[in-house]
Amino acid sequence: MMSNFYTSDAGDMRNAATLQTLYKISEEDIQYIRGLGEFMLPQMDHMVHTWYEWLMTQPEYEQFFADSRALHHAQKMQHIYWEQFIEAQLDDNYVESRRKIGETHARIGLSMTIFFAGMSIFHDLFSKIMAQRNLKLKEQVRTIDAVSKLLHLDTGIVCEVYTIMSNETITAQSRSLMEMSTPVTQIWENILLLPVVGIVDSKRAQDIMNAVLSAINRTQSRIFILDISGVAVVDTAVANHLIKITKATRLMGCESTISGISPAIAQTMIELGIDVGTIKTTANMMDALNDSFRSLNLQIHKVER
Amino acid sequence: MGYSTKIMDYPKSIWIVIHREADITRSIFESQRMAQSLGFDHGRAQMIATAVSELARNIIKYAQKGKIIITPLNERRRSGIEIICQDTGPGIPNVDQAMEDYFSSSGTLGLGLPGVKRMMDEFEITSIVNQGTKVIIRKWL
Repeated sequence: MMSNFYTSDAGDMRNAATLQTLYKISEEDIQYIRGLGEFMLPQMDHMVHTWYEWLMTQPEYEQFFADSRALHHAQKMQHIYWEQFIEAQLDDNYVESRRKIGETHARIGLSMTIFFAGMSIFHDLFSKIMAQRNLKLKEQVRTIDAVSKLLHLDTGIVCEVYTIMSNETITAQSRSLMEMSTPVTQIWENILLLPVVGIVDSKRAQDIMNAVLSAINRTQSRIFILDISGVAVVDTAVANHLIKITKATRLMGCESTISGISPAIAQTMIELGIDVGTIKTTANMMDALNDSFRSLNLQIHKVER
Repeated sequence: MGYSTKIMDYPKSIWIVIHREADITRSIFESQRMAQSLGFDHGRAQMIATAVSELARNIIKYAQKGKIIITPLNERRRSGIEIICQDTGPGIPNVDQAMEDYFSSSGTLGLGLPGVKRMMDEFEITSIVNQGTKVIIRKWL
């Protein structure tokens, strides 16, 4: 179930060993962190409790942890998290568990600010508890340094996954918007209309093609008006897509008109050297509709009352 | 390549990593938005965005991965926009040929580069085989 969340190549997916080198976490650092275990683990309940007391003062608390089961679960996860932290077994399972946290935060919409603040509070708790021990100053400083490095590594992974997940969400949203916006409509007997708005990429061009061809098949329409006045850019790739669509409709006995060629688009197409051949184009949808009526021998009359 | 592109050199730039089609969309929107905020009218902004789209598509098609840097230009007497498209792809063996209309090494229309050049005020291309291609385009207000 996990595997698909962040297989995207959109983010940094370094493995555990590489990350350890990157954050300059030495074996000595790991020993210092593990050395915390006997002292820290008995205090874990206290630490998690302190953290939740802080969280209760935040608006997020009501939203995410009002349900006692959710709270209990989060506290349990927190225990596991810090136990893993102190075990400092920096393998790919460790990295995976951190990615899972980023994934969870992104999925439920718990902000990175809360995560960062939480890490900072734990760092503070670590320092305070350390200070209670009778350690040499040098050893204390080394331990806190080691803890900081690992905290940074954790934070980095979580933040990376959070970003990837957010980007994925945006991509998915725009994708679904695009899919919704291929409404081929029969506006008159024998006339189909599709206004295209936004970006035409290869996936969308294919969607348009499918939608139009099946609409022609269904309605037996003779004319298809493709209005591109809302298209962001018409580059050679988009033009190629449009030309292909009109050729396909023609094969099905339906003539296409591309309407909505603005002055800017016309000029751009000329500069790019795009040759639309015999495809009929008009400046606006009204002209295209008028032409369609004419070729279907239809006339619109104002009725005298 | 023989030049470095450091992030600090472009304090007001937008950097976009290009490696999938959605990144083309982003480069279109970002270049159009920056052009309009600089004072280009809708049509000219659209033309700039079209040029960027063309170059971004080339990155995906030929190099798979690259980046686009969109920078506002403010000189004493004029302002404009600059877009750098850089990839570490196979490079173009014969740049002059690639700049001719109707030349394509991929079997498509291949009108991209000369068209982009016509739409912009300035066009520079550097390409080293097996190292990559860098295209810099500028348009002045």
